[in-house]
Amino acid sequence: MNSLRRRLLLTIGAAVLLAVVAVGYAVLAPDHRTPASAAPVQDGPTLQVLSNGLLSTVARADPGGPREVTGVRCDRAYRAGGTVACLTPVGALTATGLVVMDERLAARRTVPLTGFPNRLRVSASGRMVAWTLFIDGHSYAAAGFSTRTGILDTRTGRLVHSLEEFAITLDGRAYRNADVNFWGVTFAADDNRFYATLSTGGRRHLVAGDFRAGKVWTLRAGVECPSLSPDGTRIAYKAAVNGDPGQGWRLAVLDLAAGTTVPLAGTASVDDQPDWLDDRTVVYTVQTGDGTNNVWSVPADGTGGPRLLVPGASSPASR
Amino acid sequence: MVRRGSVLAVVAALGLGVCLSVGVASAATSTFGPVADTYVDNSATGTNYGTSGQLGADNSPVKRIFLRFTVSGVSGTISSVKLRLHTDDVAGSESSSGGTFRGMSSTTWSETSTTWNNQPAVDGPTLGSIGSVARNAWYEVDVTSYVTGNGTYSIAVTSASTDGVDYDSRESGASTAPQLVVTTGTTPSPSPSPSPSPGGDPVLVGAGDIATSGSGDTATAALLDGIPGTVFTLGDNVYDNGTAAEFNSYYHPTWGRHKARTRPVAGNHDYNTSGATGYYGYFGSAAGDPTKGYYSYDLGSNWHVIVLNSNCSAVPCGTTSAQVTWLRADLAANTRPCTVAMWHHPRYTSGANHAPNSSVAPFVQALYDANADLILTGHNHQYERFAPINPANQLDTARGIRHIVAGMGGAGHYGFGTILPNSEARNSDTHGVLKLTLHPNSYSWQFVPEAGRTYADSGTTACH
Repeated sequence: MNSLRRRLLLTIGAAVLLAVVAVGYAVLAPDHRTPASAAPVQDGPTLQVLSNGLLSTVARADPGGPREVTGVRCDRAYRAGGTVACLTPVGALTATGLVVMDERLAARRTVPLTGFPNRLRVSASGRMVAWTLFIDGHSYAAAGFSTRTGILDTRTGRLVHSLEEFAITLDGRAYRNADVNFWGVTFAADDNRFYATLSTGGRRHLVAGDFRAGKVWTLRAGVECPSLSPDGTRIAYKAAVNGDPGQGWRLAVLDLAAGTTVPLAGTASVDDQPDWLDDRTVVYTVQTGDGTNNVWSVPADGTGGPRLLVPGASSPASR
Repeated sequence: MVRRGSVLAVVAALGLGVCLSVGVASAATSTFGPVADTYVDNSATGTNYGTSGQLGADNSPVKRIFLRFTVSGVSGTISSVKLRLHTDDVAGSESSSGGTFRGMSSTTWSETSTTWNNQPAVDGPTLGSIGSVARNAWYEVDVTSYVTGNGTYSIAVTSASTDGVDYDSRESGASTAPQLVVTTGTTPSPSPSPSPSPGGDPVLVGAGDIATSGSGDTATAALLDGIPGTVFTLGDNVYDNGTAAEFNSYYHPTWGRHKARTRPVAGNHDYNTSGATGYYGYFGSAAGDPTKGYYSYDLGSNWHVIVLNSNCSAVPCGTTSAQVTWLRADLAANTRPCTVAMWHHPRYTSGANHAPNSSVAPFVQALYDANADLILTGHNHQYERFAPINPANQLDTARGIRHIVAGMGGAGHYGFGTILPNSEARNSDTHGVLKLTLHPNSYSWQFVPEAGRTYADSGTTACH
């Protein structure tokens, strides 16, 4: 049972408990020709998404079906291991911030931040949280932008405000440069190893990092917004078309042991840090021209094609 | 949300029939599908059903249906508008009451996040009701009094019966989705052309966030070549730093062709050069006093145009600032019935990259206090049109000012974040210019897209 589900049980109480009887029926019968349901219809695993900025959940068994919508507003959200992370919206008078919540959406820690929310991840255990904000500029496709990426260890309380504090080894050599930017962290199962994007000197690198040791090192070029598969063997990422971010991005998957990559199906430009629905399926958000976000899924082995998973949603998190 | 813009556009000449009695030789019907539909349920107050194939109206538990239609391309006099709903082909969809139908002022509720907890108000006129309904059948309500022309309309369905009705939603498929059938009493005239209006009403045309080393400004300047009138800019005329060299290299070969008829606005990138000396040097007296950057002028006999400077660290914008004091005096002295104001930083925007800006709130308040009609801004590289709103972004059909962010002049596009209430139209993938035709007591807006693109948004609103 996931976090929002528990919260709903607590807040809605008996009505939900009664509804659970009907829930299984609705979930197992995605055909719309059932009487319009009168009750929350999420039983079992859920996906967390944002619905026009409101933290929400849908049933994994029926992700295009009814959704539970909370009043919690986030520009980016993620959930894993019982930890819900939210980058709060920038307002006319308010800066953004990280809010780390428990599975009942009670805030455990807040971190004031400056910039525009862009990427957000929680390690599978729920312990580690990483975020990326735009500080200057607004697009990975443009020149002259800068980002800031931080990591919070919720167990020890250690807060790394910027990965730019870490020692960098680039192509085997110690490296420093004022133009360094990091974005898009993903964590390994040990809550110490992580991967991220490092940009410097006009090139974008996949880096591996050691959180405790405070260091990163480059692995290969042309990999942005890495996302480690649940089994830890592969990284889904966005690859610039013809190596030029100005032409947009397509998703691909890197096999870490073999060093091979496979492009995923799809023709839309994807400017998102993908996530994994399971070890075979990658999920991501694409925005249409009118600002509507849709969550899509695509097989992780390059076969098949994109499938609309959650209409009108962004920031998918399946764990 | 799954299917978009499902306008079925059935136009048929009907030589005979109901229209005969009023002596009209022909009629045309246009059928529109919902652009959004959902229902809410007070027994599941946090649940959204926007993707459901069904729409339920009931009184136990209380369920309310919300439908939204966008009527466009209809010309001629509307003689009848019918809302048609199909009951679901499932046991229990039938009811002793098909519900009561009411208008709603909100036309910007979200299909996939509306719940009982955050539902829009059912605050419009009662349009009609439907009695007993059977399963798998069509029912019709006359909404002619409510749907009076092109535009976006929300309709709520409620029920006083504890025996609920279940209609098919737009997700059920085209053959059972709700329909709005608009019949006009005359054959549609040829669609309006973007050429100057017959009356010779003045035209204001322009955009913000314009000239770069890329080609976007070339495409939008080509649009200006074919549109007469006064050209406005909305700031960030040239990137990255508003230097004289950038104006000469990037702006001058494109939008610079129309410099002699341009009244510009200064943006933050223009002020990346201290004092925006590149900007004032390039535009000269057309940009006003270089120590202020705010000025006003009249167009035609009925319009007043105000240009403000939202670079508030360079030229203060506070309630007691010289600029706002000037603005209030300028508004007080204005005798024209219609007023448009423009500057760079948007008070309201759904853009992901620049938040709504409260520094310009004193501008908005002064304009609202003086019954101004329209506010144009840029800064976020996209197009977004709001409904007429009060200074707190609440729908205000009496005195509200329509805000338009028109930052699609050439710079690379930005995405949208959370869509704000009252945001009626948006686009983030098409460069273009905003053409305003300033009628004596109203204005018509038109998004004119770059060659090869099709995004469109147009309409007319009366002055206050």
